[in-house]
Amino acid sequence: MTNSTKTARIAAIFLAFATLLSACNKAGTAPAASSGAPEPERTKEQMIELGRQHKTAWELYQSLREKTKDGQRLASSNLPDWSGVYTRAPVPGFSFDPDQPPDGLPTAKLTPEFHAKMLKRIEDAKRGIEWDPISTCSPPGHPRWLTEPFLREFIVTPKQTWLINEMVNDIRRIYTDGRDHLPEADRYPLYDGDSIGFWDGQKLVIHTNQLQAGIYQRSQPDYTDQVETVEIWQKVDDKTLRADVWVYDPPALQEPWFTRQSYVKLDDREKTLRIRYWNCGENENNAVYQTKEGATQFRGFTFTKNKNKQGESR
Amino acid sequence: MIKTRFTPLLSIAALTVLTIPLLAHHSGAMFEKEKTITVEGVVKRFEYTNPHSWLQVDVKNQDGSVTTWGFEAEGPSTLQRAGIRPSDFMPGTKLKITGHPMKDGSPAAAWVEAIRADGKRFDPREGFKVK
Repeated sequence: MTNSTKTARIAAIFLAFATLLSACNKAGTAPAASSGAPEPERTKEQMIELGRQHKTAWELYQSLREKTKDGQRLASSNLPDWSGVYTRAPVPGFSFDPDQPPDGLPTAKLTPEFHAKMLKRIEDAKRGIEWDPISTCSPPGHPRWLTEPFLREFIVTPKQTWLINEMVNDIRRIYTDGRDHLPEADRYPLYDGDSIGFWDGQKLVIHTNQLQAGIYQRSQPDYTDQVETVEIWQKVDDKTLRADVWVYDPPALQEPWFTRQSYVKLDDREKTLRIRYWNCGENENNAVYQTKEGATQFRGFTFTKNKNKQGESR
Repeated sequence: MIKTRFTPLLSIAALTVLTIPLLAHHSGAMFEKEKTITVEGVVKRFEYTNPHSWLQVDVKNQDGSVTTWGFEAEGPSTLQRAGIRPSDFMPGTKLKITGHPMKDGSPAAAWVEAIRADGKRFDPREGFKVK
């Protein structure tokens, strides 16, 4: 081997090593906006501001999708592990916003009409006048679905994700196969609406419309059938799934209501946790009606003789 | 108003307690949240059902008659998480049970705590704790 050949070989090896090093450096400093690269955690205030920057839930969803180049579809091998049985992280009073002060009002910026309605509901409840629309055994419906304190499972597949709340066997199906919502003329109100989504790395981004009017929870505001939501679901540690949620509802909200919901994986080492079929009407002792005053009362009990209401002995 | 004929076997206390409202289905506004009632008796039946369970307890009155009281709690999965199983309250089980009584005087209450004759305590609200 001549000296010139040796020099050429050393130069080629050096060039290859330098190219490899350069490639590694580029991968490590990829721009944060590119899909899959870690982004700095946004604060709640930044998320609130992000909601304000978009007039509708659909606009926000579209902007999130554009950022990921129309969203990703995950193969089975890339799906996140959301297995296990979860429940909502405890929230005093089951408030929609976990950050609501224990003795304070809901954090939503309501329109005057809906603010007044909410205050009346809270005042009535203090006087024992309270009626929950789900007393008829109807499902809570979304976005109230987010607040219920029972067992949950999250089933992730490439084309659909199922968000399951055991209460009244309530399943939200999130379609991630690229489909769109129904044409506007064909939309009709649904308890849990119509949800489509895409993946941004290991985060599931969801848009939901076609919802029914309802209440966020007892002693919480009303929402209308114009309500729409954008959610970003992700696992933030081994035991916690987090959902960042923006609610848009122009008749009721002066601006989008952003909340950060958490669901905690329950310890099931003894394998005792089960989600069973939930028949809301299986026990007639649970049947209630709304009184003339608007309060809630049992219809009567099977264990009292002759519908005994005064504790008379038999 | 609960009739005084029960008083030898039943105690009523007025106190302020922080309780988690019964939530699955209906408002808990029909119960006196600021009061509790305690009775002693034997289990007649445990309805382990959704959205609420009912523990029915036969309570002997002063005149020898028996009144069946119902104590409402959450459904099966929440009771399971609280460590309350159907076998814990088989018919005939002796217990002392406390609840928030009905405002209208019906022999029913929202279950707060039950203590069996063997001393074991059962609090349905434990089922909402994350463990």
